Amino acid sequence: MRSTVWLDIVIAAAAMAVLLLLPLVFPGKAFSDFMIRLSAFAIFATSLNLLVGYTGLVSFGHGLFYGLGAYSFALMMQKLGTSIPVAFIATVGVSAAVATVVGAICIRLKEIYFSFLTLAFQMLLHSVIIAWTPLTGGDQGLTGGVPRPPFLGIRLDDPQHLYIFCSAVLVVSLYIMWHLVRSPFGYTMRMIRDNPRRAEFLGVRVWRVRLLAFVVAGVFGSIGGLLMSLFVSSAYPDFAYWTVSGEAVFMILMGGISVFFGPLVGAVMLLLLNDVVTRVTEHYSLMLGIIILCFALGLRKGLLGFVLWAWERRRAGAQ
Amino acid sequence: MTDTQRTRRNRRGFIKAAGALTASGLAFPYVARAQDKPIRIGVPTILSGRVAQLGISSRNALQIEVDKFNAAGGLNGRKLEIIARDSKGKPDEAANNTRQLINGDGCEIIISAESSAGAFAVQEVIRELKVLCIHTNSETSSLSADPKIRVPTAFRTARQGIHDAIVSAAYAGNVAKAKGLKTWMTCSPDYAYGRDNTSLFLEYMKRFHPEIEMVGEAWPKLFQADYTENITKILQAKPQALYSCLWAGDLVSFLDQSGIYNLFAQTTLFAINMADYTTLTAVKNLPAGIHSSSRYLKTFPAVPENAAWGDAYKAKFGDYPTNWSWENSLAMTFLTTALRKVNSTDGAKLADAIRGMKVKSPFGADGTVTMRAEDQTTIGYAIGWGTTISKEPYVPSVTPGDWKSILEHEAEWKKKMGFA
Repeated sequence: MRSTVWLDIVIAAAAMAVLLLLPLVFPGKAFSDFMIRLSAFAIFATSLNLLVGYTGLVSFGHGLFYGLGAYSFALMMQKLGTSIPVAFIATVGVSAAVATVVGAICIRLKEIYFSFLTLAFQMLLHSVIIAWTPLTGGDQGLTGGVPRPPFLGIRLDDPQHLYIFCSAVLVVSLYIMWHLVRSPFGYTMRMIRDNPRRAEFLGVRVWRVRLLAFVVAGVFGSIGGLLMSLFVSSAYPDFAYWTVSGEAVFMILMGGISVFFGPLVGAVMLLLLNDVVTRVTEHYSLMLGIIILCFALGLRKGLLGFVLWAWERRRAGAQ
Repeated sequence: MTDTQRTRRNRRGFIKAAGALTASGLAFPYVARAQDKPIRIGVPTILSGRVAQLGISSRNALQIEVDKFNAAGGLNGRKLEIIARDSKGKPDEAANNTRQLINGDGCEIIISAESSAGAFAVQEVIRELKVLCIHTNSETSSLSADPKIRVPTAFRTARQGIHDAIVSAAYAGNVAKAKGLKTWMTCSPDYAYGRDNTSLFLEYMKRFHPEIEMVGEAWPKLFQADYTENITKILQAKPQALYSCLWAGDLVSFLDQSGIYNLFAQTTLFAINMADYTTLTAVKNLPAGIHSSSRYLKTFPAVPENAAWGDAYKAKFGDYPTNWSWENSLAMTFLTTALRKVNSTDGAKLADAIRGMKVKSPFGADGTVTMRAEDQTTIGYAIGWGTTISKEPYVPSVTPGDWKSILEHEAEWKKKMGFA
């Protein structure tokens, strides 16, 4: 177990090194912009997959935490003038507290009732953002920019520093979630997903595990929103709209629900698709619909799920 | 070579090609010799959905001016090129598109043809990337009036909400006095623009004509399909006059549905966004006698250059221009004048040239429009109110707004808001 931990740390460090070297290969600012957006969406989608793929809790309202993270962080920076580390930690704290309350109410329900209740909470936040104009800027979002004062020699108003910071947050977040799903707690999550009654008979407090998974997913979801607010230097009501949750679900479906890195691959695909399709046609929604239909009918395991499945099948055939 | 090997090789080739394509898109967005490359103007806007007309009519107007500039030789041989990108009406997408246009597509100038929500998002990107930006469609006053939001390289050629409110209230107040319209109601879209516009109109209306009495208000949602509930509310309140800042498709639907209830037989409508050809021609039975601000009319200002511009646009695109079209055309006048003056695309240099610039324009109240230096927004554009008829010229007579009065009241408003 100990050697596995060290191996994972080495792999994470290698991934970070690759991310640091990539701008030398792709020097354009467009690449670093893409990677910053990818960091935000990859963390957000992977955190949703902790619920959907690992715990069997299909949340339609995970965007609640994306919006909450973006607004909490941006408001703290704008109104209170706190330092970035303090605002970061406080955002995580606020999200954990909200996730505990919302989770305690939602996880008592099952299946579609759970899904719709989470959606209701997300839309409640969206309505509050729209209505509380003096604080949130209403439907125009926060105006005037998010201040990014330097800390520990890091200047997040410098695109290079922001790229490195977002890459580091991505690697650390994925590393923590990766460890979580491979820990005994992760196995318990999967047991509950497959057969909650059986888990209960084995002495597992199902509601407690579900609640903890909900809180962890909420915290990482909010970190995704936080990175996005740093990128756009603002926060918008759309961050808390139901379509954000829908996009994360698409990312999971496209990348693969049963593979840990599936949502990351899905995020790459959806962002590239968005950028490329928007360049060539004004019928983005139609194109996206067709592509998602193709995935739903032909690649149900998602791209990464399919690749792994094909590779394992080939290996089994060779043996 | 076996079939399997060939298939594998083809597949590898495809993967390599796809990889190369992706890499080139991400890493080498724009590499060309400086003297040959066109000056790219990025246009984040809305090109899909119910308000796609905003982006389409903006892009059309920009293209006319770009073609004119290029035909005249461009800037030392460098042609202008428009790259418009659809933000789908989402502010975060507007911000992302603007960054991509600058960082990915090599755009040196941004024309932000976004609605207000998108324009504020674009403004934050411009604050960071410091290229020249002209907001052409956002009417929300704070975008340029609020010093906290203002950005040195960002300008606005769109009409401003506060200007419209002052002119609207002065005109409506005079009509109310003349016709004895004492009981009033409002019906405006329930979002930032609708709320701001209506409250400013009422504020000045009460100042210019304190005798009016408000008997109710209706707030339909943006892009609402069924207005029965709002129309019933108005019918029950029986106001003598109704003010609305519904716009485009929403105003058309509201008018069409109001016709069923014969609403305007008893109530005089003041619809600020009515006098735009795309709206005027879309209403099935346009009622006569609707009071409206001049969004875009080729007959106002009544100068041959304006009529010729409107006709040229229609000849090219098969439709008359919109309010957004002239605002974009005006932006290009400022931009091309500045480009010729400074012979550079540097954001700060262009901004210095545009700040305080006065240009000849068919859309000016006196044939000129000024980019006011203090808040980087236009003044002196043609603005007025008139009454509709059901066929061309739709608004035969327009009462122009008084710019002296507009500027006096605007200065007071700025002080009150803490902007000055």
